[in-house]
Amino acid sequence: MAAPHPLLEIESLNIGFASYGQTTQVLHDVHLKVEAGQRAAVIGESGSGKSVTMKAVIGTLPHPAARVLGGSIRFDGQELLSLSRRERERLKGTDISIVHQDPLTSFNPVFTIGEHLDDVLKFADRRLGTSSDARSRRTRIEATLRQAQLKEPERVLRSYPFQLSGGMRQRVLIAMALMHRPKLLIADEPGTALDVTTQDEILRLLNQLVSEEQLTLLMVTHNLAVVRQTSDYVYVMQSGRIVEHGPVREIFTAPRMPYTQRLLEAIPPLYGPKVQHRQAHSETVVITANDVVKRFEAPRRFLEPAKAPVLAVRNASLSICKGDVFGIAGESGSGKSTIARMIVGLMPLSGGTIEIDGRSIADWRKDPAFRRRIQIVYQNPASSLNPRRTVAETLAVPLAFAGAVPKDKRAERIRELLALVELPANFASRYPHQLSGGQKQRVAIARALAVDPEIVVLDEPTSSLDVSVQKTVIDLLLGLRDRLGLTYLFISHDLSLMRNFCNRIAVMFRGEICEQGPTDTVFDDPQHPYTRALIASIPVLTDAEEQAKPQVTLEERRAVLASTIQ
Amino acid sequence: MIGYHLLRRTIGFAFILLGLSVVIFTVARVVPGDPARMALGPLATNEQVAQLQEEMGFSKPAVVQYFDYIGGVLRGNLGKSLLTSRAVADDIAQALPATLELVLFTLFLIAVLAVPLGVLAARRHNSWIDNASRLVSLLGVVTPGFVFAILLQLLVSHFHFFPLTGRLSTDIRFTPDITHLALVDSLLKGRFDAFADALSHIFLPALALSAAGIGQIMRITRSSMLDVARRDHVETLRSFGVPDYVITLKYMLRLAAVAPLTILGLEFASLIGNAFIVEMVFAWPGIASYGLRAILSKDINAVMAVVLTSGLFFVVANLIVDLLVGLIDPRLRARG
Repeated sequence: MAAPHPLLEIESLNIGFASYGQTTQVLHDVHLKVEAGQRAAVIGESGSGKSVTMKAVIGTLPHPAARVLGGSIRFDGQELLSLSRRERERLKGTDISIVHQDPLTSFNPVFTIGEHLDDVLKFADRRLGTSSDARSRRTRIEATLRQAQLKEPERVLRSYPFQLSGGMRQRVLIAMALMHRPKLLIADEPGTALDVTTQDEILRLLNQLVSEEQLTLLMVTHNLAVVRQTSDYVYVMQSGRIVEHGPVREIFTAPRMPYTQRLLEAIPPLYGPKVQHRQAHSETVVITANDVVKRFEAPRRFLEPAKAPVLAVRNASLSICKGDVFGIAGESGSGKSTIARMIVGLMPLSGGTIEIDGRSIADWRKDPAFRRRIQIVYQNPASSLNPRRTVAETLAVPLAFAGAVPKDKRAERIRELLALVELPANFASRYPHQLSGGQKQRVAIARALAVDPEIVVLDEPTSSLDVSVQKTVIDLLLGLRDRLGLTYLFISHDLSLMRNFCNRIAVMFRGEICEQGPTDTVFDDPQHPYTRALIASIPVLTDAEEQAKPQVTLEERRAVLASTIQ
Repeated sequence: MIGYHLLRRTIGFAFILLGLSVVIFTVARVVPGDPARMALGPLATNEQVAQLQEEMGFSKPAVVQYFDYIGGVLRGNLGKSLLTSRAVADDIAQALPATLELVLFTLFLIAVLAVPLGVLAARRHNSWIDNASRLVSLLGVVTPGFVFAILLQLLVSHFHFFPLTGRLSTDIRFTPDITHLALVDSLLKGRFDAFADALSHIFLPALALSAAGIGQIMRITRSSMLDVARRDHVETLRSFGVPDYVITLKYMLRLAAVAPLTILGLEFASLIGNAFIVEMVFAWPGIASYGLRAILSKDINAVMAVVLTSGLFFVVANLIVDLLVGLIDPRLRARG
């Protein structure tokens, strides 16, 4: 590097959060160095301190809760922590910019996109001492939006945040960060909140802009595959410490620290020798769905013309055998959760039939006995468990209503259930807030198993968990399937996970099942263009996997993803 | 769409007013006492009473009377007052502007005092300013309006800053005859002396009336601002160095204004109710003394008219709030 000093250099940074008079240290001696022109990444799971580190750099640590306990952050040779407030503000958006994570919540819903961008630009100009008129700002904003591949900048600027798609809002966030050609661009989990095909678009755009504009990138993410795609150098964070750092290739092929190794192993491979192949257990069909349709009628309101109904599921047919781990893959709004809900009998069909063990569930679903046949585990245990009920109280509900277990037997059954999901028996008296995310999801699984069901529907059971926790929950589910002879219907958007967990898979696209078959067949030889585009979008860990992915031409992508690509 | 929404609300409100009229009419009929006898006094002969009953339609069945009355209202005829022997519509037109002016000015006071204080309390939450404002708002909410009215009078009577009673000084010689609101008309006519006089008269009653509202709106503004402050988009702007005052007063306040605005619309009802008492204390020539006399003398037409006009203003105020909330939040405009 030609520069005498790194662009960003963090040394021995210690930060604590004060609450109720106590200070909890969240960053411990964090060291980090980003050279000009480098593409670096900080990776860590939730609570690792990666966001706090970024906020310290950008200068948005919560005041007065956050305390810098020591250390230094030097930007372009200048110590940031001793700068005056005014000097610090001057760097924001012009020298250091950030691409925020969640494109929906990052905009104020009652202001247009244009208003946001104009204020950001106006005050940045003012801090730099150059005044600008509204017209010239408008021209610059539109040019930057075009650079972020937004084709109709005028329309985007006029729109309110809710009128744009997630992908478009994310592009606006990128444009916002680029308006002043920042020396350092921080990207905080860009696209993570979006569908995988959109995320892929966003990462490509970011890569392209970084190389075109010669930007220095600091990527913050929890996804190792994203690191491989966007960075050359990586810092691994765990519980507020940098545990390992090095060039991406080195860390990925020969991680030295056990934590990094665990993290890498926890990521399910998409292709290659490490993929786990699940076999079908039998050919006895337990669930059949024939031409299932679900129409959501918009509520008819007085005096208003009727709105067109939404077809959430159109003519979906599938059959699931005993012992299957049957996956339904799809992006948000594809109708996968709606199908799951209809199969569990929580929602009536608008057309078609669903049979379980050859019996139609149309009337049966109201019978308590039906509940003993099929149960569901929801996505987010933080909201599916009642925060005011102990684990034992939560588990007692199905025992009392659907399971018909007499009162004096319940305590014993609760102990059994906790043992089944590998939780200590004394957890029975705990409240959800005393449990970790993974433990909560185990309780939710135990609740589903309380009535000894034969079929369990898993609606994204691990998507709210960190990847290392996800692995333990998946292992638990596989063990339970073998021990109890369960059949799983697994709903997910995470294709890498499904590749290793399911023996059959159906891909949903805009309410239709566009492809289904044995998992290996679908992944090795995807037929439908959407399936191909979907698989091709998944970030992977190795070049070998990258090559094994189906090749998708731009025209093919455009054909199926017309709504997300500008 | 917001248009459909407003139309639905308007129709809903019309039904509310109709229901209100049924309730009041029934109550007025059920309460014992013969309005004709009360109007004519103990010295009137039975024939005179019977004649008045006939004239007012009291001898017809109650249902017929009700429909006669509603039919009249729809044609703009509010009936005749037993008490003043004049058309109720004229009485109301004379008394209402003063009350309306008082209530509107009170709303204005609430908005300009409570919202900034709420924003300040949120900005400095848990500081002494916040604690002091919490105490003040609590006092405002728990103390009845008339207690404030009397306290203010006692306080001011020692210093003579403000006149204690009435709407305008007699020596000003000003008649509000454009909008019938003294503050507005004096400005329209360029009579700044009259404006100052009207302002000094309205200030104390409005302050007494606004106490509870200020307390409530201040707290709601504060909690609404604190809620918005936690949102991601505030941090987005902050991370790009948009100045704090712009974030607070432009971005946060507009989003946070929805809750206090909605409450302000509901507040309108209790303001009209409280205005009755405050008007009595300050001898404000509004609808209160007219309404009270009407109720005590079972002057049915007058009572109905007072209640229905108050109801109408409440309904209109809430429609305006709906419209404003729709203007603030584009999502509501789209959804309705």
